[in-house]
Amino acid sequence: MRIMVLAETQKALTELCAGASQISPQVEAVIIGDQLKVVADTIWYIPAQEYAMLEDYTESIAALIKQEKPELIIVEPTKRYKLIAGRIAAMLGTTVITDVLELEKDFVAKRMVYGGTAIRTEKVVSGSTIVMVGSGVLQSKSVTEVTVREERPVQFIEPKIRLKRIAREEKERVAVDLPGAKVVVGIGRGIAEQKDLEMIKQLALALKGEIGCTRPIAEAEKWMPKETYLGVSGLIIAPEVYIAIGISGQIQHTVGINRSKLIVSINKEKSAPIFKQSDYGIVGDLYKVLPALIKHFG
Amino acid sequence: MSIMKIERKRGEGMSNEGFDVIVVGAGVAGNVAAYLLGREGLQVLLIERGNYPGSKNMTGGRIYSHSLEKIMPDFAKEAPIERKITREKVFMMTEKSSIGLDFQSSLLGTHGSDSYSVLRGVFDQWLAEKAEEVGVEIVTGICVDDLIIRQGKVCGVIAGIDQIESGVTILADGINSLLAQKAGLRKEFKPSHVAVGVKELIELPAELIQERFQCNENEGTACMFAGFPSDGRIGGGFLYTNKESISLGVVCTLSDLIKGQKALPQLMEDFKTHPTVAPLIKEGKLVEYSGHLVPEGGVEMMPKIIGDGVLVVGDAAGFCVNLGYAVRGMDFAIASGECAARAVSKAYQGGGYSEGDLQVYRDYLEESFVLHDMKLYRNFPKFLETTPRVFSDYPKLLEGIMTDMFVMNGQPTQALVKTIMKHINKVGVLKITRDAWKGVRSV
Amino acid sequence: MKIITCIKVVPEEQDIVIKADGELSFDRAKPTISAYDLNAVEAGAQLLEECGGDFIALSVGSGGIDNPKLKKNILSRGPESLVMVADDRLKDLDTHQTAKVLKAAIEKVGEYDLILCGEGSSDLYAQQVGPQLGQLLNVPTINSVSKITQSDGKIVVQRTLENEVETLESVLPALVIVTSDINLPRIATMSHVLAAGKKPATVWTLEDIGVLELFNTIEVIDTRAPQQVERKQDIVEGDTDEAIQEFITKLSTVLAK
Ligand SMILES: Cc1cc2nc3c(=O)[nH]c(=O)nc-3n(C[C@H](O)[C@H](O)[C@H](O)COP(=O)(O)OP(=O)(O)OC[C@H]3O[C@@H](n4cnc5c(N)ncnc54)[C@H](O)[C@@H]3O)c2cc1C
Ligand SMILES: Cc1cc2nc3c(=O)[nH]c(=O)nc-3n(C[C@H](O)[C@H](O)[C@H](O)COP(=O)(O)OP(=O)(O)OC[C@H]3O[C@@H](n4cnc5c(N)ncnc54)[C@H](O)[C@@H]3O)c2cc1C
Ligand SMILES: Nc1ncnc2c1ncn2[C@@H]1O[C@H](COP(=O)(O)O)[C@@H](O)[C@H]1O
Repeated sequence: MRIMVLAETQKALTELCAGASQISPQVEAVIIGDQLKVVADTIWYIPAQEYAMLEDYTESIAALIKQEKPELIIVEPTKRYKLIAGRIAAMLGTTVITDVLELEKDFVAKRMVYGGTAIRTEKVVSGSTIVMVGSGVLQSKSVTEVTVREERPVQFIEPKIRLKRIAREEKERVAVDLPGAKVVVGIGRGIAEQKDLEMIKQLALALKGEIGCTRPIAEAEKWMPKETYLGVSGLIIAPEVYIAIGISGQIQHTVGINRSKLIVSINKEKSAPIFKQSDYGIVGDLYKVLPALIKHFG
Repeated sequence: MSIMKIERKRGEGMSNEGFDVIVVGAGVAGNVAAYLLGREGLQVLLIERGNYPGSKNMTGGRIYSHSLEKIMPDFAKEAPIERKITREKVFMMTEKSSIGLDFQSSLLGTHGSDSYSVLRGVFDQWLAEKAEEVGVEIVTGICVDDLIIRQGKVCGVIAGIDQIESGVTILADGINSLLAQKAGLRKEFKPSHVAVGVKELIELPAELIQERFQCNENEGTACMFAGFPSDGRIGGGFLYTNKESISLGVVCTLSDLIKGQKALPQLMEDFKTHPTVAPLIKEGKLVEYSGHLVPEGGVEMMPKIIGDGVLVVGDAAGFCVNLGYAVRGMDFAIASGECAARAVSKAYQGGGYSEGDLQVYRDYLEESFVLHDMKLYRNFPKFLETTPRVFSDYPKLLEGIMTDMFVMNGQPTQALVKTIMKHINKVGVLKITRDAWKGVRSV
Repeated sequence: MKIITCIKVVPEEQDIVIKADGELSFDRAKPTISAYDLNAVEAGAQLLEECGGDFIALSVGSGGIDNPKLKKNILSRGPESLVMVADDRLKDLDTHQTAKVLKAAIEKVGEYDLILCGEGSSDLYAQQVGPQLGQLLNVPTINSVSKITQSDGKIVVQRTLENEVETLESVLPALVIVTSDINLPRIATMSHVLAAGKKPATVWTLEDIGVLELFNTIEVIDTRAPQQVERKQDIVEGDTDEAIQEFITKLSTVLAK
């Protein structure tokens, strides 16, 4: 069985190829230009074109898939690839299953629907299956270095439509690795002021953890970068310990954290739903509890 | 500011931009008034601040059908009612005990004097749909902030940046009616004129409800609790069975609550864990919690209900009676909505909505049970207020009698009359007779 | 500028009930506008205010979407007219079929300059209908757009990606997928709501748009609530010094390492 992997970042390419090799020995990667180091036994190489954006390779990739007909196409879930994969699917008369949480045999995929209220199990029934899977979904025993057995060039097809890029700016890098963190301290609207984040940082430092948050903290208050909010429309993490501070525990948030091994929560309302999903908790004012925690663990 | 100007010539239908009538508040009162006027062919705009009619409304849960029955015969066949109440239970409660009266009778279900448990979220929406069917324009999610008042005449409403004009405005905006205050029809009420209620909606499977309350499918029980639920103060607890849930709550007079030891949420908590109540709601899932005011000042607190271009109906007019352990307001709201609609319709034909033109509203209210019953219960709140014994001493008295009668602990038993008198003497025979007399006279 | 915003009608999420067996019940869930599509509608309303033209809302779904309250709700948010393809054969469409039906409907509407879509539907959140529709219509398609400006037949958009923000220019017609923070959807005022009742709403069937064949590319095996992880729920009540100490002692045993 043939699996084709498409990724934008090196980390995902390595992980997805390694994961794919657990499903089938025949893993093929599509590589554009020379930026990515290849970790698959076959690579499909599309030479970099001048002034081209990743999106400009859509037609070329679609033509390759049409010709080679891999059974499964695994794509890194970045914004660019969500657009590219969708356009490819339309060209092939099929669809894409995005944000897959679990990929079972026969490509049966599970994904979250209704804002995390439910998990849908579904399967593509026409032609190639295109799935987008995030980090940590495909299990691989170890990320082995696979030597490339074969490198095959792909003809670049000039796209009918090219977008004109006027400017491009790197975003300030958010130097947190939430998915990789063992301990995550999550903060919510219970935090009264931005300056109180200092206290949170101290706690995170003491516990050697990273800081995540709920959507309102990132989007409404803008106290934390958007990349750090957890939940159905944010990141989904599975740390050893998650400490929810001043978080009510709405489902849109908890679906992002309920794979944590241990959940601890601090909330002043006894009836806060988060307690139902916690291993340990305290009903109390975070402004009283945190200083004591910092003192003890610091 | 965008202004929708009203250009109307009498007799002709409305122009696109103004309304004959604006009704504020899609509770039962507002919905009924709007429905009846829509049915008469008037251009009616009904404005509700909740996201849908009923979304913000609360009631204990029982509607006496008589007033709606007149307007929509056999409504219960179509309306989303929960259960027909065929069993009444009254409990006198102390902290540890309760003494109950169980009344089950086919008389309770007779057409016309029947009552139903309802949930306002669905019931009010249904009523609003009825109004929509007869051409009422309904706008939800909009809060009316103020009234357009020119030379003392109410000429429409103001909501955000919009002003909309109307010939007459009906205020059905509930007990807090800020609009009646703005129109100068009433002042802020005194704490003794309102009670506060809290209610929980507790989900239970239908079969379990039928079993626990010994009722048939589609039939239900109403329970009233006096004494302990309001901590001996004026008020009481109630329980109504719905299809797949139970409405459970406590009502307490505001002035009493201020004086008392326990806060309302605590009263509710204690009520729920009382040995009589706890098994009734066991394994239930709390799905909704709400709190609301209840007008109970009787005619004493009634505002001016008729002004130039404006009428007040339902709770906004104080049309509600609080019997302490039970509240009756929805049938008043419906009947007053009907009276207002008839008055407006008459004034519409007559050609004006001046205060004088609208006076018929009061006449209709006088003819109906609304003012009659309000007067009947005129002194009831006072009676309750000056006779807290009903809520503290009497339940204790009954508890004493009952324990002496039923608790066999090897002590020599006394003759029944003696037992009873021993307890009655604690309160005082005179007081009891006086209370009984006052109570009867106030009703 | 002639704008079409695609809006999905979804069941009100708060009112979806999880049954004892983990299946979902939609009995109480009324149809409502997909949350993220409100941003797409608002983006259209702002462009219309800026440059005039024409603004249509378009939705496809089962017969139930042809609901007067819902139509008024959509139209009170800025569109001048509404087109619906409401047909019970369109229940539970996958993204591929949705895009196909939208394409047919758009072609029947006629000319357009800009199609707007939301980031993802709030029920499925596939983020796929937009990209697929853009491809089917063969127009420039841009997702993750956090700002749109227009000038003489072109648009310039800001596109916010994971690690970069780019500014792109596109000719019209084009399809743009907006993010949920591009704007703050307006709250309709009373005059908007009243005016909405008078705006034209057209409802088509599949035959009207000439779509005769429909088959999903996805087979749904089941949809059920996730299994709840059993948690200890060892909760200390109160924040007295003793209570906090008790809490810390509990944590110490599990956080010690
Ligand atoms: C379509 C959609 C998608 C969404 N996606 C996400 C998502 O991906 N991620 C996400 O997080 N949210 C998401 N949300 C929002 C989500 O529904 C909730 O609104 C949000 O998670 C609530 O955040 P919160 O817990 O910080 O705030 P709140 O719900 O306001 O809770 C604050 C809590 O702090 C407690 N508190 C207050 N003061 C103190 C104190 N001094 N000490 C202790 N406790 C205190 C309060 O008791 C309360 O429980 C989404 C919503 C929608 C509609
Ligand atoms: C705890 C409790 C138990 C009760 N039990 C019973 C019972 O068992 N039986 C019974 O018959 N009665 C009972 N009642 C009384 C009954 O609920 C009320 O009398 C009845 O609801 C009054 O109806 P209404 O239409 O006048 O007002 P409401 O139902 O209060 O409706 C007012 C409406 O106006 C809207 N509104 C308010 N202000 C504005 C504004 N500015 N702009 C737009 N809209 C606005 C509100 O959102 C609301 O929809 C009980 C009340 C309580 C609190
Ligand atoms: N049935 C539909 N009718 C109209 N627009 C839709 C429909 N389904 C999806 N869309 C649009 O496509 C976007 C992405 O949807 P999805 O791919 O389901 O996440 C939505 O935000 C809408 O703008």
